[in-house]
Amino acid sequence: MTAYLANLATLAAIFGILAATLNVAVGYAGIFSVAHAVFFGLGAYAGAQLALLVVPDALLAMVVAALVAGGLSLCLALPALRVRGEYFVAASLGLQMMATTLFTEAKGLTGGMGGLVGIPRPMILGVEVPTLALALTALVLILLATWLMARGSFGRTLRAIRDAESAAEALGKNINAAKALAVAFACAGAGVAGALFALHMSFVNVESFTLDQSVLIMAMVIVGGTGTLWGPLLGAVLLLSLPAGLSFLPFIPPTEIGAVQQILYGAAMTLLMIFRPAGLLGDMRTGRKA
Amino acid sequence: MRLSRRALLGSAIAAPTLARAQGGDPYVLGTLFPLSGPNAEYGKVFTEGVQLAMQHAEAERMLRRPLRLQAEDTQALPQQAVVGMTKLVNVDRANYVMVGFTAVSKAVAPIGDRSKTVMVNGGAVGPDLAGLSPYFWNTIPLAHLETREMLPFMMRRNLKRVALVYVDDPLGDAILGIFRNDLPRAGGELVGSFSIPRTAQQFGPVAARIRQTRPDTVYIASFGAQQGQIIKGLRDNGVSVPLTSYSAMNLESIRNLAEAEGLLFTSQQTDFASGDELTRRYATDFKARFGSDPGTYNTNYYNATRLFCLLAGKLERENKEVNGDTLRAALLEQKEFDLVGGRATFDEQGSMTAAIQINEVRGGRVNVVTG
Amino acid sequence: MLFLQLLLGGLQTGALYALTACGFALIFGATKVFHFAHGASFTLAGYLFLLLWNNGHPAWLGVLAAIAVATGFGVAMERFVYRPIQRHEGGFFTVFVAAFGVSLVVQNLVGMWAGRGFVVADSSLSRATEVLPEVFLAPVFWVSLAVAAVLFLALGIFLTRHPAGVALRALSQNSDLIRAYGLSSHRLSLLAFALGSALAAPAAVLTAITTGMNEAVGHHVMLISMAATIVGGVGSLKGAALAGLSLGVAESVVLNFADPQWAEAASFVVLFGFILFRPSGLFGHAVAR
Repeated sequence: MTAYLANLATLAAIFGILAATLNVAVGYAGIFSVAHAVFFGLGAYAGAQLALLVVPDALLAMVVAALVAGGLSLCLALPALRVRGEYFVAASLGLQMMATTLFTEAKGLTGGMGGLVGIPRPMILGVEVPTLALALTALVLILLATWLMARGSFGRTLRAIRDAESAAEALGKNINAAKALAVAFACAGAGVAGALFALHMSFVNVESFTLDQSVLIMAMVIVGGTGTLWGPLLGAVLLLSLPAGLSFLPFIPPTEIGAVQQILYGAAMTLLMIFRPAGLLGDMRTGRKA
Repeated sequence: MRLSRRALLGSAIAAPTLARAQGGDPYVLGTLFPLSGPNAEYGKVFTEGVQLAMQHAEAERMLRRPLRLQAEDTQALPQQAVVGMTKLVNVDRANYVMVGFTAVSKAVAPIGDRSKTVMVNGGAVGPDLAGLSPYFWNTIPLAHLETREMLPFMMRRNLKRVALVYVDDPLGDAILGIFRNDLPRAGGELVGSFSIPRTAQQFGPVAARIRQTRPDTVYIASFGAQQGQIIKGLRDNGVSVPLTSYSAMNLESIRNLAEAEGLLFTSQQTDFASGDELTRRYATDFKARFGSDPGTYNTNYYNATRLFCLLAGKLERENKEVNGDTLRAALLEQKEFDLVGGRATFDEQGSMTAAIQINEVRGGRVNVVTG
Repeated sequence: MLFLQLLLGGLQTGALYALTACGFALIFGATKVFHFAHGASFTLAGYLFLLLWNNGHPAWLGVLAAIAVATGFGVAMERFVYRPIQRHEGGFFTVFVAAFGVSLVVQNLVGMWAGRGFVVADSSLSRATEVLPEVFLAPVFWVSLAVAAVLFLALGIFLTRHPAGVALRALSQNSDLIRAYGLSSHRLSLLAFALGSALAAPAAVLTAITTGMNEAVGHHVMLISMAATIVGGVGSLKGAALAGLSLGVAESVVLNFADPQWAEAASFVVLFGFILFRPSGLFGHAVAR
């Protein structure tokens, strides 16, 4: 049981990082991306290849993953600097679909559909460490960074862009730089999550980095409450433990378990959105039309 | 959060008590199949095989302790599979876990390896699934071996120019390799190979490209709902040559597809009409319980479950504990088992080899082709 | 000849994409709701048609039932999901998550009720014959094009001549103005959902006959509709229809130059390119900055 809960907690921490970083883009800068799984994947492949080919050092893997994902996030920042709202959603959708194809085809780097197997357990300075501890530490650091950022002047700039972009521009804020920085931070965070994911699973393939995964991460942010510190984390824990918890229901016939779980899961999401549109921790009064 | 945690803890306490209440600590058979999503049809098919084998084992009193089925939904995705597998290993204390699908198998193999839990695959058939772990076995001949058996048959039928439509995964790759290397040696020629994404739905354009290569046959290496779409897409768009494939085609939705008439595919040998007593009883009881003829995958998971019952029964008679190591030792000691379809042999890695037969879809039924 | 064949095949697919995309664009333009569950209307319509057809009912009954269920679903979504959310000033993605949840429910209910896996309505309409050397066309090609043309014509007339249609167009341009003139924007929203969802039904029926359905088909439909709406320019039905058609053609014609595994990515490269270089779409107003 402990091992089971530890595994769930590790995944929850990893997805907590994903949701928290996406929240920086969505909740603070108003950049709606459904391509977060792309950067999750980039980080996972980078971390996995490093561990497989060079050294299974967890810290190094996370740093490299963050650099790769953060660096390539310029692909995402490019449209982010040009368009807003629905347009950006569609641009990120395009990026996600292209990336899925590339992940499948670039077999030398990603292993394609077959994926990368036998990724070694994470080490720090030659000592094996549990991924749970790593993931929790990374999560705390990222939440801390988010909190500091949200309070500082950078956070105010981002919120100004989110609420009234033209006004922020008129006030002399450097919108492009702020947006690019927010995107780079979010994507580097996703890369760290990816490296942790690869080390935790010891197997990765393209099926973990599809549009469905991006949508799930987005749902975590929305369900928890955008623009709040703890909301995305709560959303991640909830959306991961709901299906896991449902699998304990003893009375469903084996062939219908999947469908019943998915129906309850879908219905829960919809009802939550109808009754708490700003998310669980979101402030109902400040819910806005994006 | 409080609610979900309480639910988790609550069931953690409830699960073991429940198991004990059912009498004499049942053996827990875990399954990690896709029960929702685009591959859910397989989950249903796999589970039916397991259920029938459990029914037979209980009727025959093969084991002293009862059996309990614990199904976890994977959606055929690695992450969900890892969650399910850790639950089966750590919470349900599963004695034996049945898996399907390549990514799922690869993702759960390290967990089973660490906890010494036997995992058996009867559905995914990529060559990369042999020797994943000492505790990872296959009750299905790996598909590229099936394809090799198909070559002489193709030559006899004068299907020499082959066009391949394949999903670009390890299985598709292996099949492509066989057509590139072994087909010319057998006297045929690979005239075109078309890799398709897993999510592709439209096959009219691919059909146009295939027609241009003027093949004698089109070999399809995909799985799930996509196979039906490929067959229909090819047939509707002027590809009229015989279609060939491997055991993934043995699905009810394919048998019932009008366009699949004449489809030729390999599977392991199962002679339901005149085979041994075990095979005949299986075919009759399957039809009685589920209302249709059994397919390859029903059989593979029936066999996987039966294999556990045979091994655990042997261990019970020898008064040994049933765990991953003793099961593995028992498997390697005996190696040959009477399963549905005849005698099956396992190699050192726990992969089964069995005779291959060639089937043809005719009028919604699957018939064995001879010669 | 290969090119001609691919072009014609692409037109057939594109005509169906155009219908669903146009429905989505109509809803999005008039109500600003990103109707992510549009694919679920499509799934329900296709499966109901299949059920009736495979039980030997006449095709017209199946088509009517398909239209009815798609319309009913769209209206119910507006009434019971989107409107309560919007009353709370829920954001764009709140709607998205709610609709995503509904899509999951529909997909799995359909799977439980109709069985999982591939299903198709067996019909001779989809069987192609050689019309020119090396060019195969099925009767369904002409049916698809004709259905799309007739529906677009009817929709065009409705939107320009009928008062409700004119009001609908006005709503997509300025919802405050509509209220100022004393028209009910709620009633018009319902109308937009009914019309938009109904447009998905013929496409679903034709898909059930040609490529067949599985319970997860709505996902793909949704992606294409969304991409076409953006490429066409938000608010432009003409643009969405044309973009849907082009996406279908692009997906097919790309096989003349590249291997099939790149076909799907090709459509999205087009989408990505459009957003970068012409964010207002084919016929859109310059709404980007």
